[in-house]
Amino acid sequence: MIPTSDFLILGAMLFCIGIFGVILRRNALIILMSIELMLNAANLTFLAFARAMHDGKGQVFAFFIIAVAAAEAAVGLALVVGIFRNRRSVNVDELTLMKH
Amino acid sequence: MTPTSNFPLYLIPLLPLLAAAFNLLLGRRAGKSTVTLVALGSVAGSMFLTWIAVSRLFSALPAGGVLVDSFFTAPWIKAGDITISASLVLDNLSAVLCLIITGIGLLIHIYSTSYMEHEEQYTRFFGYMNLFMGAMLILVLGDSLPITFIGWEGVGLCSYLLIGFYYEKSAFALAGRKAFVVNRIGDFGLLIAMFLIFTQAGTLKYAALGNHLEALHEPAWWGLPVAYFIGLFVLLGATGKSAQIPLYVWLPDAMAGPTPVSALIHAATMVTAGVYLIARMHVVFELAPVTLAAVAWIGAITALFAATIGLAQRDLKKVLAYSTVSQLGFMFVGVGSWMAGDAGHLGSSNYHAGIMHLMTHAFFKAGLFLGAGSVMHAMSGEGDVWKMGGLRKHLPSTHWTFLIYCLAISGIPPFSGFWSKDAILGGVFHAEWQPSPGAGGLEIFFSHQSGHILYGVLLLAAAFTSFYMFRLYFLVFTGHFRGTHEQEHHLHESPPAMTIVLWILAIGAIFVGFLGVPTSLVEHLPESMHWMGDMLGQWLSPAVHGPIGEDSLAEFGSFAAIATGVSVLSIVAAYVLYGREGKGLAHEPSPRIENPAQAIRNVVAHKYYVDELYDWVIVRPLRFLSYVLWRFVDAFIIDGIVNLSAYVIALFGRLFKYAQNGDVQRYIVGIIAGAALLLVAPAYYTVHEAAKFEVRQNGQEITITAHGGGPMTGKRLRYRVKWEASDTEFSAVQGKPSFTHRYDVTGDKKITVEVTDTRWNSTSSNTQSVMVN
Amino acid sequence: MIALLLAPTAQLVDPSAMSDINLPRVIFWIFALFTILGAISTLMRKNDIAAVMSLVFTFFMLAGVYTFLSAHFIAVLQVLVYAGAIMVLFIFVVMVLNRDESEPWVWRGLAGKALFGVLPLLPLCYFLCTYLRDMPTKHPDAPDAAFGTVAQVGQLLFTDYLFSFEVVSVLLIIAVIAAVVVARSAKSNERDHQPADGAAPLPGHRFGEPQTGTSYASNAVPTPPGSGGGPSPGHGPALQAQGRPGPH
Repeated sequence: MIPTSDFLILGAMLFCIGIFGVILRRNALIILMSIELMLNAANLTFLAFARAMHDGKGQVFAFFIIAVAAAEAAVGLALVVGIFRNRRSVNVDELTLMKH
Repeated sequence: MTPTSNFPLYLIPLLPLLAAAFNLLLGRRAGKSTVTLVALGSVAGSMFLTWIAVSRLFSALPAGGVLVDSFFTAPWIKAGDITISASLVLDNLSAVLCLIITGIGLLIHIYSTSYMEHEEQYTRFFGYMNLFMGAMLILVLGDSLPITFIGWEGVGLCSYLLIGFYYEKSAFALAGRKAFVVNRIGDFGLLIAMFLIFTQAGTLKYAALGNHLEALHEPAWWGLPVAYFIGLFVLLGATGKSAQIPLYVWLPDAMAGPTPVSALIHAATMVTAGVYLIARMHVVFELAPVTLAAVAWIGAITALFAATIGLAQRDLKKVLAYSTVSQLGFMFVGVGSWMAGDAGHLGSSNYHAGIMHLMTHAFFKAGLFLGAGSVMHAMSGEGDVWKMGGLRKHLPSTHWTFLIYCLAISGIPPFSGFWSKDAILGGVFHAEWQPSPGAGGLEIFFSHQSGHILYGVLLLAAAFTSFYMFRLYFLVFTGHFRGTHEQEHHLHESPPAMTIVLWILAIGAIFVGFLGVPTSLVEHLPESMHWMGDMLGQWLSPAVHGPIGEDSLAEFGSFAAIATGVSVLSIVAAYVLYGREGKGLAHEPSPRIENPAQAIRNVVAHKYYVDELYDWVIVRPLRFLSYVLWRFVDAFIIDGIVNLSAYVIALFGRLFKYAQNGDVQRYIVGIIAGAALLLVAPAYYTVHEAAKFEVRQNGQEITITAHGGGPMTGKRLRYRVKWEASDTEFSAVQGKPSFTHRYDVTGDKKITVEVTDTRWNSTSSNTQSVMVN
Repeated sequence: MIALLLAPTAQLVDPSAMSDINLPRVIFWIFALFTILGAISTLMRKNDIAAVMSLVFTFFMLAGVYTFLSAHFIAVLQVLVYAGAIMVLFIFVVMVLNRDESEPWVWRGLAGKALFGVLPLLPLCYFLCTYLRDMPTKHPDAPDAAFGTVAQVGQLLFTDYLFSFEVVSVLLIIAVIAAVVVARSAKSNERDHQPADGAAPLPGHRFGEPQTGTSYASNAVPTPPGSGGGPSPGHGPALQAQGRPGPH
């Protein structure tokens, strides 16, 4: 029997790694992948609690998260392609148009 | 209940208004002939409609009946207690006014087509004139004060626009502004009067005012009835529009406008609006006869004052302008005359005389202005009478008609001015005003004797009138020409469109007075002529009160003889001074002062320096106050506050703009920091909340119940309760923990609950005092 | 720094469970180790393809972890949708962009990020973990065999969550349309905008001004002078005029 806390630790680690990627990498593609990592961390936590509470709803939520992640990836990648087409670059530190 | 009948009255003002819209918006594109057609056609149309309406009023309705109509069927304004419908009414009073306005208005429009022919702004001129006609007709036809007020403001606007018609010259534009500002003061009075009437009577309809006499008679301030104040404020409004003391100063300057405008607006129609309004509101005025006395006094003083100024002016139109102010004063005396009735009876008034003079004045003064226009037309715009002379042979039609007008305004029988001026003089001689309640001796004296004093004042004013009019006549039309050779060569009679109008007005100036032949005179004529007796007075009697007690023939004869004699004497004096060989001609007025007579003349010629007085007493202090308000209050304090707040915001903006560097990743960092704060803050808040407790006392036994933590935090909270002067307890509980302690001694005890969250060692405590007894 | 961050998660470990070491747990931790290594590898790679493959590996390992949670259906979805569909999309995009990275890390503003982004993570994780550990557990024992099967999840999906399920399908359609609109080539956009306004700015310009005078978009627009119905002669210069010099 594996304690629930083990899964939660793994989820927290994945989430933190994801945040690191988002705030420190330049490449928009890698940032999108980091977001996918964070979503999976959330998924893992949902599933852990679903098992702990013997409640199938957590798994349904995981299902929805996967669907939303798919939509997010599609739009996000389209944006990356569009940005690249205009700027010849996908480096987020160069996309500083939302500034004062 | 007044018999009423429906008639599309709204068309009467609407036609000129539509024409104005057309001329002002499309006139330039439509061309001159179309503009002329539209402008004249609309005025002629509303004149014919007025004729039809008046004939309906005359034939189809019993005496006192009125025609009613409305622009909209539904109420126009609904706000709180006030409901105003855009209704029009044609009763006997407004019928007279409408006939004058549309008739004279059409004549002046025809005259203008010729007079303004070479004017570049021809379409703009006729657009404004039509707008004026529409506004004036609304003023007259409105059945309530607000509707009248719309017309009132509309004619004020048109007056402003037309005075400043040649706005390229700043002096003319300033004259328009002066007229507008002075009229505002009067409008303020009228508005206050409207507010007072509404608060007292709850209605603003003229016809309904008679039903609220008790409410309007209630004492307001200083024991005086509210009607007293309403009357005075209406009078203020009327003095503004009708150019009476103290607000007359704008009218002479209004001569900056084109001459037909002076004839139509500043002589025949608009300036009589004040007289009309006082006649309209007579019900209210009669509640406080003292206000009628004020009307008469202001009128009489203005009549004399303006007439004296008229004596010394050398500009043709200026003389006529002061003459207008003076004649309007006569009308004020007419509508202000009042004779107190016996106890329990209403008094009788002399409104019809004022309206009568309004009508005759409209003819001869419009004619005088148009004649002056014709003269100036011939003189290439020259207005100085000392540069004219001997124009009789060059301008025969203008000369003859001008002579007729001069005879009419001087009150020489049988010209129209004689009848109307005589009616006013006769009425005011008999006038007696009831003193206000609790009045002193002087007021009682004036109430009874004012009539005689005013009669004398008016007689003097009439003498001056005759003098300055014939001075004008002799200076302009007789003698030899004093202008330049070039001007003399240019002299010519005006085109037929102008002379025909002059002749029509001259015929009116002769015969229109027969509408007011006194009954006492007619009674001595054959039976078949009796219908002639005081036709206007009888026509107006349903709308206004009956005339002041009938004169006998002897009385009428003596009044007429005195007035005519004075006028004739003045004319003779004018002839002696300014006639063919007059010695006054030798001395052209000059600013030099060599003897006291010249000093007086200079003062009079400078209009008694009233403009300068107003400038020093009112305008300059106001300008100084405005300057202080502008520089200190507005620019320094108010703008300073605004600028300070803007500066503070800008300061914050400059500080925080560095957070907005466009780096998305830094924004994410902000989100993380915020999320962390949101999670951490409740943890401390939880401890803070858990330490709160309630105290229950049962004798010496104290039980406290702490709030405790939520389901997530409860297990790890550690409570420590300190009972003062006793042992402390230490508890670890879940839910809402309760602690009980029994005190052995009485007294004031402090109880402290200290909570520690064992997970992250955050602590909070709470203390309450309990009286143990 | 990662170790510093992960230290608070030790709070999660129930001391009583520390000693309970059994075979499934050991196997789980092997999976977990590979998952974390894969995730770190995803972030550290310079090469985009290598990063994507690391992520695929991470997802495979996660699918393994899910099976320990009796989430068989989700584990299958993880492989099919995530490791299959979504990551293939990523690879496509990497191929399309076809670019090398010279400097993978953003060093600018590192101190601020560490102070406000990483430091708050410590208490964040700390509180997160303590809250989660204190959460009451209803059923410490293993769930029944039917838990997490397609039948059980499907039962819930098509009864209680039917509406959400349909909404998600709509969301996916919207995402597809959005992706098509955003990623559509500048050329096709240009064609659509041409009749309305000859000088209409390209959608690409919303993202900013070209770095140089030869932006992709303006290169993509052939400007034949005087071609009837085509772009107006002054179109090319108009585009150039809109490209203000960049801030850098």
